[in-house]
Amino acid sequence: MKRKFGVALLLAVIGTSVFAHSDKESVTPADGAVLDNVPETLEMRFNEGMRLTKVEMTHADTHVETLDLGAQSGFVKEFSLPLVQMGSGLYQIEWRGLGVDGHPMTGSFSFEVK
Amino acid sequence: MADLWGLAAIATKFFLYLGVLSSGGLILCRLVLADQMSALDRAARIWAIGFAILAVAMAALGFAVRGAVLMDDISGMVDPSILALLWQTPPGEALLFRLLGLGTLVLGAAIGGRWLWVAAIGGAVAIWSFCEIGHVASQDRLWFQSVLFAHLIAAAFWIGIFLPLSRLSRSADTLGDAAALGHRFGQIAAVAVPLLVVAGAIMSWRLVGSVSALLGTGYGLWLLAKLAAVALLLALAALNKVRLVPALQRGDPGVGTQLSKSISLEWLCVGVILFATAIFTSVLTVPT
Repeated sequence: MKRKFGVALLLAVIGTSVFAHSDKESVTPADGAVLDNVPETLEMRFNEGMRLTKVEMTHADTHVETLDLGAQSGFVKEFSLPLVQMGSGLYQIEWRGLGVDGHPMTGSFSFEVK
Repeated sequence: MADLWGLAAIATKFFLYLGVLSSGGLILCRLVLADQMSALDRAARIWAIGFAILAVAMAALGFAVRGAVLMDDISGMVDPSILALLWQTPPGEALLFRLLGLGTLVLGAAIGGRWLWVAAIGGAVAIWSFCEIGHVASQDRLWFQSVLFAHLIAAAFWIGIFLPLSRLSRSADTLGDAAALGHRFGQIAAVAVPLLVVAGAIMSWRLVGSVSALLGTGYGLWLLAKLAAVALLLALAALNKVRLVPALQRGDPGVGTQLSKSISLEWLCVGVILFATAIFTSVLTVPT
């Protein structure tokens, strides 16, 4: 029992992942937005230079699509990614990237299309 | 729960610390305690090379794990474009320092003699790599990086004595050598250990900054875990210096075994210290 508690405590305290969470990005569509139509592109802006390494889109909790990041070079602050059109429903976006300081970054947001 | 890659980052960091500090420390002890360790020259160089090889493997593996983190997939570990991208950032710079430093250490240790000084420079370069990246480096202050460097050199010196002293204290024929080595180490440690503790205190104060952050954040709690192990380590070191080494010098029976056991406990404390450090340098952020 004590051992189980110890392991649980260890994992709970480690608890945080290897990522830094960027809280300074702004995205379009905004997190929580409700739209009439599916936008053609996803815009992401960061305060510091970033290189996106993976962006996944989950539609209606079922269909997962990896977005095309195109040809990137260097570390930039703005990204515009073509969005896969899947009709109405909830779109959840999860991204991973490398900060210019070498820190792995991650973040997620979602929007809904009526 | 920490994700798989977070755990992999912690494990590689733990063994990287162990490898770099042990290899650098063994070379440092061999040079600083030249007379007392002359009989262990070959063994010390072999141990140093072994730990350096472990450190090289962990430095490379840890770098590859960053690639996996970025791709959320094991394929990221060998993805040339991702690894090339990482190479342009501070982790790439740190890897370069580690590979160059440890390669130089292995070369110097393999040749021996005056080349041990070359090995020591290699060890110092590898240790400096920890000052080039991470929470301390991000403050961008050379004096702060130097404090970490002094902290790590003193820690390496301490860890570097464990194997030689333990080896000498286990055989009845070499107990006199163990006493001489332990005594001389104790004299230098009387300066090096306070330096280690003061440097650690300065960094803790700068990075954590308040009692509430120490008690109320994951970073602070793991720092406290580290401090508890440090306190135990200091108590063991004091026991060795004040009781066991003088008893060894007098030739009291059975003291060699006791000293060897005490060093095993010191290893255990160092293990906890390095593990706690690997956690708060890998997956936790500094309190803000």
